[in-house]
Order: sequence, then structure tokens, then C-alpha cells
Amino acid sequence: MTKKAFRGLFFCALLGALLFRTVRLDLRPMHHDEANQALKFGDLLERGEYRYDPKDHHGPSLYYLTLPVARLTAGRSLAATTETTLRIVPALFGTGLLLIFLLLLGGLARETVVSAAFLAAISPALTYYSRFYIQEMLLVFFLAGLIASGWRYLQTRSGWWAAAAGLAAGLMYATKETSLILFGALAGAAAIDRILRPKAVRHEPRNPAAVLAHGAIFLVSAFVPAWLLFTSFLRNPKGLAESVHAFGTYLGRAGEAGVHAQAWFYYIKTLLYSRFGHGPVWSDAFIVALAVAGSIFAFGSEPGKDGHPRLVRFIFFFTLLAAAAYSLIPYKTPWNALPFYLGLVLLAGNGAGMIWRASKFLVIKVLILAVMAPGILNLASQDYRANFVDYANPTNPYVYAQTSTDFLKLVRAVEGIAAVHPEHERMLIKVVAPPDETWPLPWYLRNFERVGYWTDMAQAGDLREAPIVITSAGFADEAARRLEGGTQSAFYGLRPEVVLSLYVRQDLWDAFLKSPKSSS
Amino acid sequence: MKRALCSASIALLGLALVLPGAGRGAQDQDKEVLKLQLPKPMFVGTPKNIRTPNLEPITGRPRGPFLVPLGTVLLSAGKPVTSSDKEPVIGELAFVTDGKKSGEDGYYVELGPGVQWVQVDLGKPQPLAAIVVWHYHSQARVYRDVIVQVSDDKDFISGVTTLFNNDHDNTSGLGIGKDKEYIETFEGKLVDAKGVKARFIRLYSGGNTSNDMNHYVEVEVFGIPAK
Repeated sequence: MTKKAFRGLFFCALLGALLFRTVRLDLRPMHHDEANQALKFGDLLERGEYRYDPKDHHGPSLYYLTLPVARLTAGRSLAATTETTLRIVPALFGTGLLLIFLLLLGGLARETVVSAAFLAAISPALTYYSRFYIQEMLLVFFLAGLIASGWRYLQTRSGWWAAAAGLAAGLMYATKETSLILFGALAGAAAIDRILRPKAVRHEPRNPAAVLAHGAIFLVSAFVPAWLLFTSFLRNPKGLAESVHAFGTYLGRAGEAGVHAQAWFYYIKTLLYSRFGHGPVWSDAFIVALAVAGSIFAFGSEPGKDGHPRLVRFIFFFTLLAAAAYSLIPYKTPWNALPFYLGLVLLAGNGAGMIWRASKFLVIKVLILAVMAPGILNLASQDYRANFVDYANPTNPYVYAQTSTDFLKLVRAVEGIAAVHPEHERMLIKVVAPPDETWPLPWYLRNFERVGYWTDMAQAGDLREAPIVITSAGFADEAARRLEGGTQSAFYGLRPEVVLSLYVRQDLWDAFLKSPKSSS
Repeated sequence: MKRALCSASIALLGLALVLPGAGRGAQDQDKEVLKLQLPKPMFVGTPKNIRTPNLEPITGRPRGPFLVPLGTVLLSAGKPVTSSDKEPVIGELAFVTDGKKSGEDGYYVELGPGVQWVQVDLGKPQPLAAIVVWHYHSQARVYRDVIVQVSDDKDFISGVTTLFNNDHDNTSGLGIGKDKEYIETFEGKLVDAKGVKARFIRLYSGGNTSNDMNHYVEVEVFGIPAK
């Protein structure tokens, strides 16, 4: 492939990735986890407060990287931020991931890089979680950065690339504690690569002083950002130590997966074939098949004139080890598959690239493209469906404990009632629900000044003093009894199987029905 | 003189406005607005992802006994069913009166989004005691704008009696109802027919809390068979 063709095709892939990731970021209702992250970020935005939470929320990088975007677009008020303000951060990292692929040139052939870029651009999984305000896409970006910088270091033996690799590793750690699994998989892949290399090459002479110096540069570059972020820029000195203690928490959670326990084959099954109820079939089998081909080619003799089999083999071993580790851990959520999914995309790029190079004749190349076209179109169509049509539909395999679109009707009702209440956003709202049936309400009610959250009806006081009461279905009967009539009630879906009950003082409800907001 | 009167009036008006406030200010000077610290939401990790059916009701107690006149029988078994959606998305309209009430796939009919109705034809006007409807009970969800009407007119233009209406914002355009919304359970929703005599039973709904579609597992109409 010529440089000119490569540049043109890569730009198209990048543009496609940007569009899929950034258009209509407000479409999907905020997920429980996103709302949690958003509120935690709100403390940092409004009061400059961040304190690492060793039990939940993961690392600090997401919040600090959101800060400049939010300051530029919304100032210092969480109320002024929107879903787009927050989701644009992972969306940009998800798009930037393709740019990291460019650093792999030399290790991967141009055809491989451009194919991987196209596959990443239209991957439903990578797109879906690039539009999701959680840490996963940042982790994948930094992981790709570490692999690329490591590769560049091996080619140049430059201290700058050692520093870049260290920075990526440090940011991986500051993003998610489970990055340790990925460090283990990377180390394992490097060890296998070393074992498989010919002895003569394995023991090539190196300058021990330079190796030591670069090792030190790597460690310092990794430590400094992690230290600064975990300690909230030295305001919480215990933060870094707490991140180490958090391993115990996450190790326990991984083993005692509870409601997130899945069989070892969950990820591979989800990737190959998913169908729920009468919903459509979802499958990333095209990527998996190309990845298998790319892995086989990695052990062949022809890596492409501008490629290097060593990097492809390293990616293969990393993908295999990371997939095995994540599959063996009982705790599984679909977004946890992304780090090894990155490896699959790169290997699939290698597969597609090698098939493309199978012949020099244009006619054959057109035929190859024609054979692959249904797979590409199917992937792109699934990407569109997953992110712009079925973004909250439980039949979508990437939809996991997602807030229902019905929930937004509750939000609109509360906003409409506030518009007719004399105190507007100062009106008292009482929410009585267990924590797992409360979120993302705090995000959507962030403009309201007087919202109280209780998990026990007995502690919520007199419900009649609040013009609006929201309860979980489990508290609905008791709430109705305590309110003693005079209210209009309505149910709204929070998630599948989870229903919230809204109680509105009758005079307000009647006024709301007469207002233009009731019909909007 | 006129100016003096005017000035005096303004002064009096000013005093009237200021004095009560001044008095209140004096009373309240050792007080301040009570600032309530409302409890913040508690965090909990990623909630359970649910895609499997759940046959357990989420809330509420078992329905108590419902008394009907002696001789009341099931009138709707196998009776013809029509609908606003001529081509259901899933299932068949005959499912509505086939006597099978399982919550699993294959037992319900799915009608399109928005307001839709199903109608049962009893063949002749008969005194009705109760109507029980099961929309979809393998998942805790609430159907919106549920309206149950009866009539002897198959087009429901004349002689329409509304037995149940929980459309609290008149989405369906059939008037605001005062009945409560309810969560679907295996018990179904029992509507008291109060002995009204009718041939046709029409049930409306306008989507549900899980999606915009409308579902019916079964509709049972009980009453005294006409002689």
C-alpha cells in the first residue's frame, strides 16, 4: 500500500470513528455507574475536592481528565454540565486510540494498521463504551499507548520512549486498579516472546548502564503521574497507599462476583453470538475470524514488507493471556472485555491486511473486498444499531443494567412539576429507595437544591411535607399509606424489572397537566 | 395643602409598609433560616443486569377473595378477539382468550407501540361480574393508560361504560382516569364489572415501563350466562 493511499484510508477511518463516537452523546439515558462517576466528578469540579475511594469508583484519571473539558464548557457548576460534557472525554480517547495505532507502524504493516483502524472505528463494543462515562476507554487508550511506546522503545532504545511507556503504564494504573491484570498479561507475553526468540538474538549485547537508566526512567515516569493523581496532587497523601490496599477489595470482588458472576465462556460467547428473546442477532464473529487468521499469519514467514512478526506475535500472546485471565475471573461485565478486544482488533487488522496482500492483481483485490464487504457492512450496521437505535434495549449485548428510556419520562414529569411549583427548583423532593434503585436520579436531579435520599421509610420523616416523593416499588404501598391520598401516583421504569413510583401533590399535578410542559 | 396631604399620605403608606417589617425584623433578629442537611444518595456498585424472566411479584399482597353472584362463569374462553393492531408483532390475537396464562415466550401477543386495544366479543350481551387481564407478568413492569370499557356497540361509539381508567394525563384521549397504575404480577389485574350488561369488552394500553409495546397474555371475562 502506498503512503498516499494509507493516509487517505486512515483519515477516513479516523473520521468515521469520530462521528460514531461523538454524535448525539446525549441519546442514551445515564447509566447507574455513569451517574455515580458524574457526581464524584462534581465534587472535583465545584469544590476542587477529590479523594480516592478504595472501595469503588476506580482510579482518578477520568475525573482529572474531564476537568479541563468541563471548565471550558460548563464553568464550575455540575448543574451546567450535560451528558455530552462528560461523555466527550471517553469519546475522544476512543477516537484517539486509532492515532495510537500509527505508532505501531513498522511493527505492523500499513495494511494491518489501516484495517485495524477501520475495524476499531465500526466496532460496536469500542464505540458503545467510548460513549460511556466510565474508565474503560481510557484504560484501553493507555494500554495501547504502553504497547506502542514499548515497541518504539525496542526499536530505538530511546529514553523518551521509555518515559512515554512509563507514563502510559502510570496512567493505566491511575485509571483502573485492575490494570494489574493487564500488566501481568503484558509481562507474560513479553516472557513468551523472549523464550520463542532464537538464542543468538535473545542474548544480543546491550549496554547495562543504558538499560538500567531506561528502567529507572520508565519507573519514575510511571510513578509520578500515579502518585500525583491518587494523592489528589499531594492533598491526600494516603491515596497511593490506599490504591494498593484496594487490590484486596477488587480481588475479593473478582472472586465473589455476586450478581455479576458469569461462566468462563461469557466473553467469547457474547462476541460470537448474542440473541435475547425476539431481538436481533448480534455478532463480532467477523472480527474474531479475522483475528484468528491474523494470529495464524503471525507465525508465518511473511509479515508484510513493512511489518514485523515479533510485534504481531506479542499482541497475540497478550490477547490470549488477557482473555484467559478475564474469562477465569467470575466477575464479568461486557466492558471488561475491552482490553483484550483491543488485541483482537489489531490481530483482525493483521488478518485483513495479509488477505489484502494475498495478490498483487487489482481484480483479485476487488474480489477480496467483495467477499469481506458483507462482514464490514454488518459490523457497521450493528455499530449504528447499538449506539443510535438499541442503545438502551436489553437485547443489545452491550446494554448492561442500563437505565430505561422510560426513566426520562419521570425526569420530565419532575421538571414539569417544578415549573408550576412556586419554589421551582427549590421545592422539596424526597427519594426513598435502596441505593441500587436510586441512581441515576442524583444526576438528573442535580439542578434541584432540596433533594433528600433515604433508604428507609422510617427515617424519611413526614412525606406529606414534600410535593414530590419518589420511591422504589418496594416502598410504594407504604408511601401511599403515609401520604394519605391527595396525590397522583405514576410508575416509571428505571431498568428492566425495576420500577420507581412517583407521587405528586394533586393540585400540582393538575396544574402540570394544564401547563405546556405536560404535552412536551 | 394638596401637596401636604399627598406627602402625609406617602409617609403613612411608608410607615405602614415599614412598621410590620420592622416589627418582624425585631422579633426575628435572633433567628435565622433553618438550613436542613438532606441525606445524600448512597453509592452502590454496578446493579444487577436482568434479562431473565422473574415470576415473583415485586410488591403487594395476594389479592383477597372477590365475591361474585352465584352462577358466575368464565364467558370469554375461546371467544373471538379483534385489535387496533391487525398484525401483531409477536403471537396471535387468539392467545388473549385461549386460557393459557404462562409468562413465558409463546403465550403472549405483542401489539405495536403507542395506544392500542384488544376487544373480546362475547357473542351476546350478558351481565358481567369481573374482568381479569394479564398483560405480561414475567417481568415487573407497569402498563400505561390501561382503560377497560364495555359496550354493545362493536365500534364503541355509543353505550360505552368505562370500568377502569388509569390514564392520568389523558394520553389516550378517552379522558383522565382516577384509577391507580399497578405492577404486573401473575395474579393479573381484576376489574370489578359491577354487573353491567354488555357484549363487547375493549381493553386499551399505551406501552409500558420497559418499552413502548403492548402485550396481552390473557383476558378473562366472568359473568352470568345469558339465557
